[in-house]
Amino acid sequence: MAERSTISSQRRKALFVLLTPITLLLGAFFLIPLGIMVVYSFLEPGLYGGVVWSFYPYNYGRIFGWPLGGGEEFEPLYIQIILNSLYYAALTVIVTLVVCYPVAFWVSRMGPLAKNIVLFAITLPFFANLLVRIYAWLLLLRPTGAVNTALLSLGIIDQPLNMIFTEFAVIVGLVYVLTPFMFLPIYASVERLDWSLVQASQDLGATPFQTFRRVILPLTAPGIAGGCVIVFIPALGNFIVPSFLGGSKVQMTGNVIERQFLQARNWPFGSTLAMIVMASVLLLVLAYTLWMRRAANNERLAGAGHV
Amino acid sequence: MSKRRFSSGWTALHIYGAAFLIFLYAPLALITVYSFNSNALNMAVWTGFTFDWYRTLFGMQPAGAAFDAAFTENPDRIFGVLRNSLIVALSASAISTVIGTATALATARYDFVGKRIYQALLFMPMIMPDIVLGIALLIFFVGVGFKLSLATIIIGHCTFLSSYVYIIVAARLAGMDNTLEVASADLGAGPVTTFRRVTLPLIMPGVIGGFLLAFIISLDDVVITYFIAGVDTQTLPLFILAMVRRGIRPQINALAVLLIMFSFVVASAGLYFRSRRN
Repeated sequence: MAERSTISSQRRKALFVLLTPITLLLGAFFLIPLGIMVVYSFLEPGLYGGVVWSFYPYNYGRIFGWPLGGGEEFEPLYIQIILNSLYYAALTVIVTLVVCYPVAFWVSRMGPLAKNIVLFAITLPFFANLLVRIYAWLLLLRPTGAVNTALLSLGIIDQPLNMIFTEFAVIVGLVYVLTPFMFLPIYASVERLDWSLVQASQDLGATPFQTFRRVILPLTAPGIAGGCVIVFIPALGNFIVPSFLGGSKVQMTGNVIERQFLQARNWPFGSTLAMIVMASVLLLVLAYTLWMRRAANNERLAGAGHV
Repeated sequence: MSKRRFSSGWTALHIYGAAFLIFLYAPLALITVYSFNSNALNMAVWTGFTFDWYRTLFGMQPAGAAFDAAFTENPDRIFGVLRNSLIVALSASAISTVIGTATALATARYDFVGKRIYQALLFMPMIMPDIVLGIALLIFFVGVGFKLSLATIIIGHCTFLSSYVYIIVAARLAGMDNTLEVASADLGAGPVTTFRRVTLPLIMPGVIGGFLLAFIISLDDVVITYFIAGVDTQTLPLFILAMVRRGIRPQINALAVLLIMFSFVVASAGLYFRSRRN
């Protein structure tokens, strides 16, 4: 009995030692800062970048048109920018998905050595500096860049194509930077794919399209969903890609937030926009978690049905 | 017949896969080629091979005769920036490795109330968009009166790097049963001895892998550092950002290539350790 209580007190001591650092770190430098940001979004912007400590919901009114007051006016521009960002993020998800899905099958059917080499080659660019990777596309797409120079010298075009500072450039940049995030989860689910089910579907006379739609797609759906979520999130909040490749023409929410903090110095309004980004992300992650849980439950029920 | 169709599909897939790898590496290869091009005015036109962009980056004399003095960089700045980046990356990844490993041990080896809350909380810094975390930390540091400096950058990096290390080490612990640890405890070793002599050697590859990957993610971080660096502290990525904003010059290519090479070497080592089996 006495021995048991020493073990449990030892356990408690060990847990205390192991968990205190992360608790302090994430409590003080993650949860509290995010909490303060939430509070800031409800404060009145003061002169010269300060804040006035009074309840001020009108930062939201400036974006959504309600509630209004305190001299804030509804500026539809911001809704437009938020919708644009959602659209660019969604487009990035679709393009990376279409690009990566076949690659996952390509890699999964390789021999072990080739597979390891290619997986390594696909993962590695993620660790090249983000700025450098975007800068490379600046060199490729600008009027005197590599693509235009090549096309001009081959005589395919006689005027430089206007590619930089367009939606196209921003999407290309986002796709390039976020591709590894889409590839890895999809690959993980393709790798687990039970090919005997595909074989069975073919033996039972399904067309390749039917096999794909009824067997392969549902079985790889978890990887697709995971990839979509982890590409959408950084795409939505991105501001480096649009500021390098979109110039002043293509704006995303991240660019507006950056300006509110570093130039306009309206921190409460910047916090409000960041709150909207954070809320979208949390909603998306919540939906994903619930969906995964339901999928796991269904699978368990289906498994029980077999017995 | 059907086998033939399959093999032509397989060829198409090979071509597609190769194109994908070219898409990933061509932009990086382009910078590398540009960094050796002596043409100072138009990088896209090759005029000859030179090391001048690398040499002048570190204050050495250019070898090319017709070298424009406007293209030289102040080497003291570069070395100062490099020093800052290394201090931040080393401290942040070392602290995060200790914290992340401790947390992974707690969730893998103990059952406690609120364990799932911790596990969910640990994912949060990784899914939070960088810009949100960056401005939240900026408001916090300014609000509580922390002077923005290298210390604030290190703290900021630890908040998300600890989660990276946690995930890598927890994955390693999950693939490992605790027989040896139980045996060690049965033989009378205390928890500290068991950790030092049994657990730590077993998870060491994961810990080293986590440290190296955290190091490189910290070294390359742009967005969070951008908000919490303050006006007179600069890291290497912020230095490159400022250079690009001033205008595209060939020296940026040289610096970019050096940074990519360094990142690739450290990340390769990290990936190797992470996937290594005992």
